[in-house]
Amino acid sequence: MKPVRLAIAGLTACSGCQLTLLNCEDELADVLRRFELVYFPMAQSGGRKEGPFDAALVEGAVSTPADLDMLFSLRNASRLLVAYGTCAAFGGVAAMNNGQSTREELLRTVYGGQGSLPESFAPAPFGNFVSVDWTIRGCPPEKDEVVELLAALLAGTLPPVRSYPVCTECRSRENLCLLLEKGELCLGPVIQGGCNARCPATGIACEGCRGPVREANVAQELELLLERGFGRDEIERRMNRFKPGWDYGQRR
Amino acid sequence: MGSVVEINPLTRLEGHGSVKVYLDGARVERVELHLSESPRLFEALLVGKSYAEVPDIVCRICSLCSTVHKVTALLAVEDALGIEVSERTSLTRELMLNGATVQDHALHLYFLVLPDLLGVQGVAELAGTAPELVKQGLAVKKVGSLIQETVGGRLIHPVNIRLGGLGRAIPKHELTQLRDELRLALPACREVCRLFSTPFPFPRLPEPAFLALEPSSAPLASRRLRLGGDRSFAVREYREHVEETLLPHSNAKLSKVMGVDATVGALARLHHGPALSEGAREIFKAHRHELIGKDIRGNNLAQAIELCDAAERALELVERLLELGAAPEAGIAAAPHGGTGTAACEAPRGVLIHSYSFDDAGICTQADVITPTALNQAAMGRDLLALARGMEGEETARMTAALERLIRCYDPCISCSVHTFPL
Repeated sequence: MKPVRLAIAGLTACSGCQLTLLNCEDELADVLRRFELVYFPMAQSGGRKEGPFDAALVEGAVSTPADLDMLFSLRNASRLLVAYGTCAAFGGVAAMNNGQSTREELLRTVYGGQGSLPESFAPAPFGNFVSVDWTIRGCPPEKDEVVELLAALLAGTLPPVRSYPVCTECRSRENLCLLLEKGELCLGPVIQGGCNARCPATGIACEGCRGPVREANVAQELELLLERGFGRDEIERRMNRFKPGWDYGQRR
Repeated sequence: MGSVVEINPLTRLEGHGSVKVYLDGARVERVELHLSESPRLFEALLVGKSYAEVPDIVCRICSLCSTVHKVTALLAVEDALGIEVSERTSLTRELMLNGATVQDHALHLYFLVLPDLLGVQGVAELAGTAPELVKQGLAVKKVGSLIQETVGGRLIHPVNIRLGGLGRAIPKHELTQLRDELRLALPACREVCRLFSTPFPFPRLPEPAFLALEPSSAPLASRRLRLGGDRSFAVREYREHVEETLLPHSNAKLSKVMGVDATVGALARLHHGPALSEGAREIFKAHRHELIGKDIRGNNLAQAIELCDAAERALELVERLLELGAAPEAGIAAAPHGGTGTAACEAPRGVLIHSYSFDDAGICTQADVITPTALNQAAMGRDLLALARGMEGEETARMTAALERLIRCYDPCISCSVHTFPL
């Protein structure tokens, strides 16, 4: 059987999604045997970004012309393009202020008032520019979901689609409900599960790192939080942390 | 006739960068290090966020250093708000940092540097030519990961460490499991240095000016930075001593510390005579002559010694936490008030400084992050030029391989480095 040819790369990101693959200590040796890492500059010299690839796992938001070039190049060279992680899927932390400040204001704050600025535009998800075949969510992604995808690729398919909120797994773990019982700003009801309610199980409210669940009742979440005394600003800041531009009127 | 040799992209390191060597015939005119990561702008994004949000957001700067970014941010916010934490919380954070050091040094040494020593391109060939070493590296790395997962609640961007305390107390059976795993992994951690004591076969480089936190029995309480043998300053006053300038070819600013090109990282820390754990002390004694007074080529060996130190120290910390027993350490609901807080920690690749100002409502008005890779940038540029000049006339492929290898000695983290202070 021909090995599955992979590209693993990053755009505007923290490298955490690529690192998640390297953190699969139990599976990594097997992955290295079964896949051909044609392009993986973080861990491999002498790669070819021209491919061709069976799948390209790409992390990060698109925020510079160089990001866009790389995204088009990998899209063209790969049969499947995977938006690897929340930045690639929704814009992620880099995009949190997209609704409030222009890119130039942010750049001036960091690089000063005079002189030329690095070329950069409002960070955006892959879906704004190219078609995406699969999405792995999370900041960082769950190792299980990465391994699940790799296993599916070997079998010539993709994993099953999940569509339930963090609360589903949180309730089944019998965690104390941080939203209803402790009155904390927990985003569990509107966020896609699959993390086995990792943070609430640690006593930390869901910060929304996996992006919106399909048919999220955003309006109800907003009401619940407002009733508990949180300000609209504070709620929106938290909602925007990993994905800007929620529809607060959405009921399903 | 002028020509340019370009290494693009730099590989086997975190983030996006490239190097250009400008040649006139065989003569090297200059070398440019481009840290071309997209601007991340965290300092600007943090303005307008509440004090409680800052550590959760800022750890996303970098995955490799997320634990130390989070701990440093927590310390800086706590400094601003005057929050004190318990011994248990402090020890837990220290344990997390040691776990991160084990994990990160193991990743760097076994998977990014080792291919250079064995003459292969990267992890894939490594798994074919040296499967036993890959297995060993993964085992060492895994014990670091286990600490992050168990204590931090997540491997990258840990959640369990929070302002004033912890999300959940670590139960006894989990600490016992950590202790057992650490004991099992220690022999391998002590062996790491054997692989990385091979001398780097290239010309001698300029003598570095080492910058690190002053050694302290409580690492998180160290509040002074030491430069070279005799100069030091308070972390709080770093703005007076660290000067940043913009470079036309890099998205990271160039830092000078007290007017010199400082070098931070494992070798810098060992030069400042830290109190090492027992096993690491022995190894350091045996290799001292290869490290002290030497240039950055010794940094990988220094990392191997630190890896052993971090694993042994993690075991001590787990044992101490078992003695203390589990108790809830809920985060403190601090009354927000205006103020500025600053803190520094030793990240795997060197000194990391965070500083934040808040208004009376606890909203961030200014954020500043100085990263080890930004601090090292000037020294990296200087050493690249020295190495390229020292290899004038050699084959291009040999020179570019050496330059890449030199950069890996510094273990840069480029996502981190493009965060800079408002000029």
